[in-house]
Amino acid sequence: MIKTKNLIKIFRTDEVETTALNNVNLEINEGEFVAIMGPSGCGKSTLLNIIGLLDNPSEGELHFNGYQVENYSERQRTNLRKENIGFVFQSFNLIDELTVFENVELPLLYMKVSGSERKRRVNEALERMNIAHRAKHFPQQLSGGQQQRVAIARAVISNPKLILADEPTGNLDSANGEEVMNLLTQLNEEGTTIIMVTHSPSDADRSHRIIQLFDGHVVTENMRQKL
Amino acid sequence: MIKILLNTVIRNLYKQKAYSAINILGLATGVTCTLLILIWVNYEISFDTYHKDINRIYTVYENQQYADGDIFSVYSTPSPLAESLKNEYPEVEYASRMVSTWGQLVLSANGKTIVENGGKVVDPDFFKIFSLPILYGNYTNPLENENTIVLSRRLSERFFGDIDPVGLTIEINSTYQYIVGAVVENAPENSSIHFDFFLPFKFFRDYWQYDLSDWEANSFHTFLKLKDGANTDYLAENIRYHVRQRIPYSNVELDLQAFDRYHLYSINKNKAGPIWYVQVFLLVAVLILLIACFNYMNLATARSERRAREVAIRKVVGAQRRGLVGLFLTESIIFTCIALGMAIVFVELLLPVFGDLTNRTLTLNPGNFKFLLAVVFIVLTTGVLSGSYPALFLSSFLPIQVIRGVFRQDSAMLRKILVVIQFSMSIALFICTCVIYKQLNFLQESDIGYNKDNIVYVEMLDDFYDEYSELKNELLKIPGVHWVTAANQMPVNFSNSTWDVEWPGKTVDAEQVLFQLSFVDFDFIETFEMDVIQGRGFSKKHGEDTLKFIINESAAEKMGMVYTIGEEITLWNYTGEVIGIVKDFNFNSLQVGVNPLIMMRNPRSFKYIGIRVGEDQEPIVNNIRKIWTQKFPDVPFNYRLLEEDFDYFYQAESRMGKLFATFTAIAFIISCLGLFGLVSFVTESKAREVALRKVFGANVDHIFQLLYKDIFKWIMLSVAIAWVLSFFAMEWWLNGFAYRIEIGIGIFILAGILSILIAFLTIYKQIARLVSSAPAQVLKYE
Repeated sequence: MIKTKNLIKIFRTDEVETTALNNVNLEINEGEFVAIMGPSGCGKSTLLNIIGLLDNPSEGELHFNGYQVENYSERQRTNLRKENIGFVFQSFNLIDELTVFENVELPLLYMKVSGSERKRRVNEALERMNIAHRAKHFPQQLSGGQQQRVAIARAVISNPKLILADEPTGNLDSANGEEVMNLLTQLNEEGTTIIMVTHSPSDADRSHRIIQLFDGHVVTENMRQKL
Repeated sequence: MIKILLNTVIRNLYKQKAYSAINILGLATGVTCTLLILIWVNYEISFDTYHKDINRIYTVYENQQYADGDIFSVYSTPSPLAESLKNEYPEVEYASRMVSTWGQLVLSANGKTIVENGGKVVDPDFFKIFSLPILYGNYTNPLENENTIVLSRRLSERFFGDIDPVGLTIEINSTYQYIVGAVVENAPENSSIHFDFFLPFKFFRDYWQYDLSDWEANSFHTFLKLKDGANTDYLAENIRYHVRQRIPYSNVELDLQAFDRYHLYSINKNKAGPIWYVQVFLLVAVLILLIACFNYMNLATARSERRAREVAIRKVVGAQRRGLVGLFLTESIIFTCIALGMAIVFVELLLPVFGDLTNRTLTLNPGNFKFLLAVVFIVLTTGVLSGSYPALFLSSFLPIQVIRGVFRQDSAMLRKILVVIQFSMSIALFICTCVIYKQLNFLQESDIGYNKDNIVYVEMLDDFYDEYSELKNELLKIPGVHWVTAANQMPVNFSNSTWDVEWPGKTVDAEQVLFQLSFVDFDFIETFEMDVIQGRGFSKKHGEDTLKFIINESAAEKMGMVYTIGEEITLWNYTGEVIGIVKDFNFNSLQVGVNPLIMMRNPRSFKYIGIRVGEDQEPIVNNIRKIWTQKFPDVPFNYRLLEEDFDYFYQAESRMGKLFATFTAIAFIISCLGLFGLVSFVTESKAREVALRKVFGANVDHIFQLLYKDIFKWIMLSVAIAWVLSFFAMEWWLNGFAYRIEIGIGIFILAGILSILIAFLTIYKQIARLVSSAPAQVLKYE
């Protein structure tokens, strides 16, 4: 599903060049649950952002579902993203001015899904995340765990093939973190490919494969479980 | 989708109440000013448009050339002109003279007596040229009969109430009898021609014994209605020398003015006419609206950090840039709509005040198509303009930048430029206001060559001279009355002029010197405290003093006989000696210079009594009134103060000054809101820097300096731009005055200091808060 070839990302300021990713070659198949680990600053989030088409590589190739996408225009990226990729962030990134329902509904609006269909799907997603009773609340009225469940609901509402999660439990206590991980595991079992950046070994244990990054290089890839 | 859009906008609005309030208030103020100005402009341009064939109606005017080459254009034309043009040029379908009745007439009918001076003497064609709805009487030709009078509805109701008065008789000055031929609707307020009644020229001939065939006397307006499709340029070219062809020595050229330009455009080439005010205030409206839009842009982009995350998330989940631009534009249009709602309320509340200021009865007419069109236009342009930059700026955030925390893009420069433009405009307006006030003050205070204060004057009925001497003696007995004189006109409105003056040694060039003419009585010079340079004023001590002339300095100079008394001059066919030369005094507005003047004693022409009184006017005026009422029980005592008339000259300017001051204040307030917005952005974005500097030892003074330095650089730039703009604008304006001030550097320095002070105060609180904030508070959120 995803293939990177000699992926390089260099951040340049006036005087300093920092290589965040250095010749990263990866292949992630459909249905996989991959965890990316490594110390702070090793390039985990950069890699996730490039895979999620939120950022461009400096060099190298990125293939998504067989298409080479690293040179896509912003419009093409947006289209590809909204149909195929869901995001879950450490800091939830919900829009404060929108209710829970509206936050989850947002991707469907941009996909031009009809009103009744939207309503059905949002309710379904909220039910599934066990947060339907909070539909009319605003993000700031919810606990961290609840906010992250809303964020996951928003990530899955468009039935993406791929979910990218950047430290999804990083801001949560262990009980809420556990709950979020259960949800992600369940989504994966239903067929969604998941790539997750994490510092937590126990969260990484849920994955099929752990990719270890260090100073922008892939150092090891461990298969956790049989596919 | 739209519902969600609206929901988001309204929640945003509600969530940041202070921000929304500032933003909406700024827009509402801008829109209010624009609407007020548009309502006024609409009123001004609506003048006379009620005449059905306005595009076929023309006024004939004269370009009179002075000896020094100056051209002075006047509407006064000779009496035979109208008929002559109609007979000679096939383009002319109808032609009419018009002249106001000279002085007051006493009208009586139905047992009532009314003193009126609002009459017009016109030809029958007048009613075919202008659309005056006829309520009663002869609809096609109301003045067909030479013995008819046409009344306005107002006057008809005063005499006869609601009944149809056609056929009833009106007596004028107890001598002349006219039959009411028709009653016409009152002229609307936005009409250039106002009237209480119309009389035929027979009255003019009978009453004033005026020679209506004289081509040399100019007292009449000439109006033409041209045939459909007539070639106006061709006609104007052809009639150009019409007067010269009849008076060989005349240098008068005729021209046509379209009647729809009569109210707004001056016929004098170097004078702009009221259209200038219309244009200036339209410009002011645009400026204020622009300032308000810039404000919105500033405040909206200043909040960009807060909106960045929202934009990023929307983009991550699939929003295209276009959609986001739409979102922000919708937001600004909604803001504008709310502002518009407030503005309409403001306009409704302010219209009476604004009406006083502009001296017009202005009304808000929301159903009016033009008004709706203007409103839609204002909302769309303001909404789109003010939303455009924030929309483009905010929608340009890339999600990755937001996620990485480096999303701040360089909008700071543009916003600084916006604030510089806002402030430049406001400061320039402020300087203009100061200059306008200084000039007006100069005009009102400057030495006009006589003492205009404490002069009471009364308009007389015609042929009052027989009773005048007795009245004068009685008036002089009133304590506080110092001098009494009479004249055909007061020095605020000298309007008679002639070329027909001869003197020894007159050169051919001097044929074209136009002399102002005034008929004055004994003690005129003394009453007005004019300076006699040589000789004396008219005085009873020297007999009747008829066939004696007093001239002013300019006339003496033109005649080439500076400071010589006893020279003989001939005015028309009267020959007499010059007995005095007076220092030039202004007998018109100071916008016009002083022309050569000849004064002569001609008791038959006197129309006004001028009285110099003491400081405590009220009891004196009451005593004058008492004597008046005893003497003329039928004639109302209508007195005026000369200084008030004098102020009236500058009423237009004075009104403009007040309006300018008001709008300047508003522009400043909105600009300060803009500065406030800019500074809130600066403080937000500099919070981290300030915190870190404090951690590493910067003291409060350093921080203040750091923050103020940048902002003041921009304010200084605005001041400089405003200086240049306003200097050139005001030089241009002042050059329209014969007597003007030099602008001087003081006003510029004052404007600079004030602007800096205002800017300082506007942002002080925000900066102080930032300076005093605890570094840990700021850094915690890193």
